[in-house]
Amino acid sequence: MRPPRRGSCLLSSLRTPTWLAPALRPVFVRYNSSFSSDQFAQLARRESSQHQIYQSFSTNPYVNLSIEHFLLENAPPDSSILFLYINQPCVVIGRNQNPWHETNLLALQNDREPITREKNDNGALLVRRRSGGGAVYHDEGNLNYSVISPRTTFTRNKHAEMVVRALHRVGATNTSVNDRHDIVMSTGQPQPRKISGSAFKLTRHRALHHGTCLLDTPNINRLGSFLRSPARDYIKAKGVESVRSPVANVSSVFVDAMMPFSIERVMASIVEEFAQMYQVDADAVRRAQRAHVLEPELYAGDTWVAGAVGESQGYGEPDIKKGIDELMSLEWKYTQTPQFIFSTYPIEDDPRERLPLPSTLPPATRVFLRLKHGAIIESHISTSGDASEASEQAARVHEALNGRKLHEITPAQWREVLLDRLGADVEDKSLVELAKFIGSKLGWDTSS
Amino acid sequence: MSAIARSVRPFASRVLSQKLPLAAACRVSPATAFPRGSVRNFSQSPFMELKKYTESHEWIELAADGKTAKVGITEYAAHSLGDVVFVELPEVDAEVSAGEPVGAVESVKSASDVNSPVSGKVINVNSILEDKAKFINESPEGDAWIAEIEVKDASELDNLLDAKAYKETLGDE
Repeated sequence: MRPPRRGSCLLSSLRTPTWLAPALRPVFVRYNSSFSSDQFAQLARRESSQHQIYQSFSTNPYVNLSIEHFLLENAPPDSSILFLYINQPCVVIGRNQNPWHETNLLALQNDREPITREKNDNGALLVRRRSGGGAVYHDEGNLNYSVISPRTTFTRNKHAEMVVRALHRVGATNTSVNDRHDIVMSTGQPQPRKISGSAFKLTRHRALHHGTCLLDTPNINRLGSFLRSPARDYIKAKGVESVRSPVANVSSVFVDAMMPFSIERVMASIVEEFAQMYQVDADAVRRAQRAHVLEPELYAGDTWVAGAVGESQGYGEPDIKKGIDELMSLEWKYTQTPQFIFSTYPIEDDPRERLPLPSTLPPATRVFLRLKHGAIIESHISTSGDASEASEQAARVHEALNGRKLHEITPAQWREVLLDRLGADVEDKSLVELAKFIGSKLGWDTSS
Repeated sequence: MSAIARSVRPFASRVLSQKLPLAAACRVSPATAFPRGSVRNFSQSPFMELKKYTESHEWIELAADGKTAKVGITEYAAHSLGDVVFVELPEVDAEVSAGEPVGAVESVKSASDVNSPVSGKVINVNSILEDKAKFINESPEGDAWIAEIEVKDASELDNLLDAKAYKETLGDE
């Protein structure tokens, strides 16, 4: 297991002094029993596990999303589950979104080129989740809540309302659910600030609602920079576009308050509200509130399971491991992207006016790419002002690009293709600049 | 699909959408009137198209040849999902198994799998939906089918719900 980061420390709920805990243990053995955490999958699947409350001590978004997906697929169809987790810095896009359009790939960890994976290891991760909706930023100040419940009684607002009640309980009484099923905070400014975004995944019998909750992120002022693509003026994408909203931290309400704000209190409050909504056994709530005090441990009564889960559960259960591998794969992150076009000039499908290209490029330069499943199926890259010459150039370049996966083409490979195909009639210097330009728009570091 | 078959198809969806009393719906439904049994029985007549449903709100309609079928989501599903903004179509030639996803739809931030009612191979996808996802809301059981499948074993349809049984599953939701 990785050493705990700040996020996982925050999860030690209620901060019960560790020395107290052993003394408390025998008292609770009366009500329920403790299980080793490798029984997680078994307990989660148990037919009588009607109420399940978990916190994660992993901050790995792939692990947390895959544990969540496992619970969606495997818990009993009539059960209700609350799962709370905090992820290390990452940008999470919706299932049907385009990473080139929705994120600033340059600000994220470069997962496309194995050699440089080490280089920018501190950057935020790119994650594509299985639920719908738009792109969001996560870090250690953002709490994720996830409620999995029967589809028959599910509404899109009920769990956002639940979290609002939890926030009111800790004093953030200026929060409410808006018509996009998000939670917003009125701050005296004309437009309320978004503090939580919702997304859903529906299966045959089950509904998953997960949401972010910006409680106290240190990156609140630069969060938008992760979500602003350098190619947004050039890309027209099918699928789902994010809706931009001004954001705020819930903690900002407490700046002048006597009572200090704590993520643990919000977590405890969400557990309380969940318990009330689904009439969860009081023992389960007690156990959930004490999760993380000791070693990761699970507790179960006749009808419930509560406790902490993490990477060992994730990698230990084959179904979860499979989910983690899928989410981490470049196929899922990039080639799952709905069809899109990239064009530096107005075209029928995307007639927006374009800004002039950098002056280092030949003035007649045109770059057009059409992609399906993340692979180039049509392209036009040319530098000539003469139409027939341009189309001949484009044909030569397309021959080299056709069928190639966009995320696999590095700036060096762009340069190679352009020099090889256009080197005969265009200056090398211009082609190198063009490769840099294309690379930078597609989120590569082209400074070297 | 033959012209006759085309004229029959909207009939079933019309019946469903009219919210007739259950008894009436099952009297007129071609799917319920149809005897369970081998493919040969109904493949003899082009009028005997077979339309079945799943608990997870997909429909499948076997073509008159008894070998291929169109798959989509039901009126109920389209209505309850809300405005569909994206339809994930399967790849042509993809092998699908019964109960496994053959596509997915997104509506109001919700991703929902579309499960294949039977096993088989995708032979065609409805590419209109690539450009116009909302078409699913307009004609879910008509022209906004999602995939056409070469059915591996038509007897798999016997295990699915007929119109009456499907309607009954909606009763308790």
